[in-house]
Amino acid sequence: MTSTPIGKIPAGIAVLPFYGTAAVFFLVLCVLMLLAADELTRHYFSPHVLAIVHTAALGWGTMVIFGAAYQLLPVICERDLFSIPMAVASYCLLTVGTLLMVWSFWGFRVRVSLIWGGALVVASTLLYGINACGTAFSSRQLGIHRLFMMVSALWLLITAVIGLLLAINLSHTFIPRPHVDVLKLHAHAGLAGWFLQLITGVSAKLVPMFLLGKSKKTWLLYAALLLQNMGLVLFLADGYFNPITGKMLWYAGIVGLGTLAWLGYLVDTYCHRLRKKVETLMRHTAVSFGYLIAGFILLPMAYHAADVRWATLYGTFLFLGWITGIILGKTFKTLPFIVWNIRYQQLHGKAHVPLPKQLYNERLTIYQFYLYLGAFSSLVIGMVTNETWVIRTALFLWLALAVIYLVNVVKVLFHKPVFHHGTIT
Amino acid sequence: MELSLSSPYVAEYVKAQTALMQVIDPELSVNIIDLGLLYGIDFSDAGKAVVTMTLSTPYCPMGDAIQSGVVNVLKACFPDREVEINLVWEPEWNYDRISESGKAQLGLI
Repeated sequence: MTSTPIGKIPAGIAVLPFYGTAAVFFLVLCVLMLLAADELTRHYFSPHVLAIVHTAALGWGTMVIFGAAYQLLPVICERDLFSIPMAVASYCLLTVGTLLMVWSFWGFRVRVSLIWGGALVVASTLLYGINACGTAFSSRQLGIHRLFMMVSALWLLITAVIGLLLAINLSHTFIPRPHVDVLKLHAHAGLAGWFLQLITGVSAKLVPMFLLGKSKKTWLLYAALLLQNMGLVLFLADGYFNPITGKMLWYAGIVGLGTLAWLGYLVDTYCHRLRKKVETLMRHTAVSFGYLIAGFILLPMAYHAADVRWATLYGTFLFLGWITGIILGKTFKTLPFIVWNIRYQQLHGKAHVPLPKQLYNERLTIYQFYLYLGAFSSLVIGMVTNETWVIRTALFLWLALAVIYLVNVVKVLFHKPVFHHGTIT
Repeated sequence: MELSLSSPYVAEYVKAQTALMQVIDPELSVNIIDLGLLYGIDFSDAGKAVVTMTLSTPYCPMGDAIQSGVVNVLKACFPDREVEINLVWEPEWNYDRISESGKAQLGLI
């Protein structure tokens, strides 16, 4: 074998637990939404909705993104992962921290357990940040994708620290600003700093690989990095020292321009792709971008309307539309490869081995796509019309979606080679 | 990889090339010959088969698996030879290196 250094996929323990746990949290999220169906159109600052949002943001979104990031950092940075023990520790801390936080929010236990949960999540994000930056810094050059990975890790840490301060503020008030206003800053640091910038960086790397396409307009990614951060920093600075007013929408507009620059890059890649057929999993991604744009369009309505439903709907488009859509699509474009590497790397060429795409049930991913479209559309209709029975029906669809996603993830995670007459099936 | 009929190792080349068609890039589901990843094999050292090849990117996540596959099939073909891989990045791999058959398998034509 050659000794030429090439990017290595990290050990399974640094990646697989995140995917499995995230799939369980997604199921928990859908159960919690069903249990609190009546409250979904009421004010978001309520114990059950806070528990649901943190299940979505930490247990589902951040959990699976950590796993994917630990797998992709070596690919993006062309270096081995900085620290596998740190990745495992971040998993343990994030899992326990999230469980504590969700349990605390659900019963509104705002003292010790919530603060401990928040502290564990902060520790987890700190370890992730060190790992991401350590891997990126050890690479030969700082490309735009690596910048996005590092900047998003920093925003995640900032978001988690603000969240911990808010958790302390619930029982020992010390923040000189209205709690709900700071909650908005916390939420948007997470959405526009962590999720948006991480997804921007990773997708700008992966989408061209999946489509066999290439865009020469890299300047769009630099514009995206600049505008997304400029808008967010202005919003946080102004929003902390001044009341949150309509002028904040201008900052959202700057972030929106940054988002359009990134989407423009992806569209250009799509137009210059070699692979003409777009598979179902890539359609998930495309639809999720539509929901992200819809979220931006809803923002002025969420701000101006007296009815808090629009604010909840805005969050629904971002968490259940955009973030969930992209995770559902990307899971089976990443997870099967690391499992395949663990099970078959040494057998490759020695025996007939299945391909990574044969490790999951492709038919289930097609059901997953249409179920996701139906579940999301019906939930939005239910929230807009304020019809609880429509919301409940939609949530049963979400539950079914979570179950088939979990089944498929478990199928990949527990895949074992079967030897049959000297070949592997 | 181009075959030269005047080479004293033409039989080995043909045997190796046929065997290497079993090595699939797991991500693209196309064998490495049709992908154009193989640049050459040197059989001039009696105890060795030195493979010169590339990967689609230096940070190809399937790089180790592809190299394992190359070593495994060539060891099976040439049990008396040690297999070495010389991984190179020049000339850089690009889509033009994919054969017509590979393009058809990828749905590019």
